[in-house]
Amino acid sequence: MTLFRAAFGAVLLVASIDQTALATTQNVIFNGTIAPTCTLVVATNGTMTVSPDLQSLSSHNSGGSAGTVTLTTTGGVSLSVDPVTTTTVPSADSTSTTWTPTYSAAGAHSIVETGSATSISTPGADLVSVHLAGTKGGSNRFANGNYQATVTLRCE
Amino acid sequence: MKHARILATALAVGLAPIAAKAQSMSPMRGEVNSFTDVFAVRVFPANPYDRKIRVEIHVYDQDFQPVDARISPNVFQLASQASRPVLVVVPFGGAAERKVRICTESIPFPNQQTQIRAQICGKFFGRRKS
Repeated sequence: MTLFRAAFGAVLLVASIDQTALATTQNVIFNGTIAPTCTLVVATNGTMTVSPDLQSLSSHNSGGSAGTVTLTTTGGVSLSVDPVTTTTVPSADSTSTTWTPTYSAAGAHSIVETGSATSISTPGADLVSVHLAGTKGGSNRFANGNYQATVTLRCE
Repeated sequence: MKHARILATALAVGLAPIAAKAQSMSPMRGEVNSFTDVFAVRVFPANPYDRKIRVEIHVYDQDFQPVDARISPNVFQLASQASRPVLVVVPFGGAAERKVRICTESIPFPNQQTQIRAQICGKFFGRRKS
């Protein structure tokens, strides 16, 4: 009887050792949605200088400089400039000026200088150069004094 | 009562943007269903600069004409790297739906010869449910 119980126990032990643990796996799913976003960081304002014939006041002229803005986006946005509406001119300047804002970009996207809206579909960072040119026609000339203009750079 | 309805609308729209640093405004897209004659959007302008800036919030229609919306607050100072919520309540004006742009504007370096105004605009679509 003792021998039988020992044999039964041994068989039971071997049977239980032979049982492998059942492993299971389960996927954990992560979702993320990024809406179009845009960051504009103005690095420097621009400087306009007058042309020798005094009919152009522009950041393109010698000694002038573009304003610079850092653009960072996910893509799916549009970049544009608004017509210039806010200007300050010296009192000696009584003639009209045509203001033309433009911009270009270099970096993740390459945008040739333009005044029109540009769609940006891919993500990345760019350095945007913003230019402003004021011109006078006919016999009109820019006058002595301080000029100031505001260019609106829009990302939407 | 009217304020309560507007507030309820604002809460009901469920626009729950995730304010993030280094963004000028979030969200930049959104659709809102409203059961009242207004719809509300909560946006989060942010200041990515290392100094305080003055921020203005404006609401425009599709042709960039100003919209008579209630903006709280519409002008404020924002500390460096900070973000804050702004509640915009837009009237439908009798229409069944309305598309607006909500724009965050700032001139970080004022009083210079050629200033650059950075403008981040989000596009939002409100739909009135009956």
